[in-house]
Amino acid sequence: MKKQMPYSTPEGYFDKLQTRLSDIPARRSRINLTPYLALAASFALAALAGNYILMKTTASQPASDEEIVEYLIDSGMTLAQLEDAVYDY
Amino acid sequence: MLEQERFFNDLVKQYSEPLYWHVRAMVGNHDDADDLMQDIYIKAWNALPRFRGDSDPFTWLWRIATNETISFLRKARVRAALSFSRIDSEAERVSDPNPYFDGDKALRALRKAMATLPDKQRLVFTMRYYEELSYEQMSEITGTSVGALKTSYHIAFEKIKDFLTTSD
Repeated sequence: MKKQMPYSTPEGYFDKLQTRLSDIPARRSRINLTPYLALAASFALAALAGNYILMKTTASQPASDEEIVEYLIDSGMTLAQLEDAVYDY
Repeated sequence: MLEQERFFNDLVKQYSEPLYWHVRAMVGNHDDADDLMQDIYIKAWNALPRFRGDSDPFTWLWRIATNETISFLRKARVRAALSFSRIDSEAERVSDPNPYFDGDKALRALRKAMATLPDKQRLVFTMRYYEELSYEQMSEITGTSVGALKTSYHIAFEKIKDFLTTSD
């Protein structure tokens, strides 16, 4: 940073951050599935998806906050429109 | 794979600190910046096989970080609106006294002024004012033309000037 930033960080933060970030490749490879596991997982996923669709069509589940946020962003609604809707409500 | 890990570790060693400040300037809060750093480097690791050797790693990484941060801020705003809290309270949130804010009154006022800018103007102002990036670098990072960036910086600069003058 060339200009002074008005912030500081906890003591030794950047050393800890580097250690944590450097561990990402090892952690990602640990969670890499073998092809057989991936095949089993895809069957399980298909079964879960079927179950999910069945549940969706038979009972209405409330959407999570994250789903609502994603939907609103994807729908192209502006923040002003959203605020109007919220405060008019 | 080993080559990729070596390259990734170089990205961590060389850029994690300046990248943290890039993100922190945008979100204001240490915890949010810390979470975003983790997400950004995971995204970078996943995208590494598609990284072209002739690209500038700095620009590439900053582009990932910028997209991730803008997306985070957008979601935070929608969440704030849904929870019926006033959006302009963000200006206070990012610059209120907190354990990791050590600026004097003037720097605090500047941060408050910056918090009133739209995300993209704040991004342009941060890259130009704090990081002193060239407009060409900024253009590569944001995918916006140099002319549009110059205009955006000028508008941001004027807004900040007005804010500081009227809040005196």
